[in-house]
Amino acid sequence: MTENSKPQKSRITFISRAAPYGQNKANLCLDMALASAVFEQDVNYIFFGDGVYQILKGQDGSAIESKTLGNALETLELYGIEKIYADRQSLEERDISEPELLSGMQIVDSDSIAKMIESSDTVFNL
Amino acid sequence: MTCLHTISKSPDTQLLESCLKIIASGDAILFIEDGSYYANSARKLEAIDKTCKIYGLREDMLARAILTRAADSVELIDTARFVKLCCDHDKIVSWF
Amino acid sequence: MKFSIVIYAAPYSSEAASSALRFARSVIDQGHELYRLFFFGDGVHNASQLTVVAQDENNLQQQWNDLIEEHSIDSVICVSSALRRGVLNQTEADRHDLGTASAYTSSEVAGLGQLVDAAIHSDRLVNFG
Repeated sequence: MTENSKPQKSRITFISRAAPYGQNKANLCLDMALASAVFEQDVNYIFFGDGVYQILKGQDGSAIESKTLGNALETLELYGIEKIYADRQSLEERDISEPELLSGMQIVDSDSIAKMIESSDTVFNL
Repeated sequence: MTCLHTISKSPDTQLLESCLKIIASGDAILFIEDGSYYANSARKLEAIDKTCKIYGLREDMLARAILTRAADSVELIDTARFVKLCCDHDKIVSWF
Repeated sequence: MKFSIVIYAAPYSSEAASSALRFARSVIDQGHELYRLFFFGDGVHNASQLTVVAQDENNLQQQWNDLIEEHSIDSVICVSSALRRGVLNQTEADRHDLGTASAYTSSEVAGLGQLVDAAIHSDRLVNFG
């Protein structure tokens, strides 16, 4: 399908900045992105600040009777969201290295994130 | 293509510092709610690029008794002007 | 200009819901179109009608309802957020055999598609949380 056949396509960037489990912002952000993907929008999904804790491998929400957010994040790609990024500086500040992350993340610098924001129609930041 | 960034939580949250990592030149920052307390700290505001305008929401600062303490670099605006700023910028990025 | 406003915060716990209300009023006062209000997460509590506040306090839920009705605003509460927080319209209350509707009828209970639609069709989308 070409871009032209979908005039209602807008570029929506999600900046997910909250750590998982302690509050529900990470889940809200994910739900919004999945809905955007279902409606075939052009989605960027960025893990930033404490949000990078969401993409640590080996989470087990069952220990606190919660759904494991890490598993849910793996569904991003199933929904056709391919532009998934993690902020390099946020990872470094938290001593998280690339092998500790779920697969499918592109690590980017804040300059690239600034450009993504600039080229987006709408930004959700939570 | 510029953004209006609204910051609505206290400086303890470091939201301004996060925002400054991904802000673009020519963007603007508006402090609202507890974010107003940033307007009280000239030192924290020095980190903002000179191309970025800084605004504080008057009503929130008035309520908090910090209106007269606002740094010189902060332009005080009311909610009506907040709406106008949203029109003047292409999109709004809310930090909360 | 077409605005949509997304509210993530419950009333009273923080200032965000009341900021959003002031902003919404100002959008309308200036003659802009308010395309949609979308209440999400804890924000759905703003649509609860089963509330009582002290006489010298603002009833935010009622104020939202008044604004929505007066200006016939398209207002949506997110269904998945609302159901788990007990903010139900009559249809949902009946469907889940819960008897009482707790949501103002001025808001529609609907899915996140309405948020995506707002993002696509509004010139400006403003979040309050």
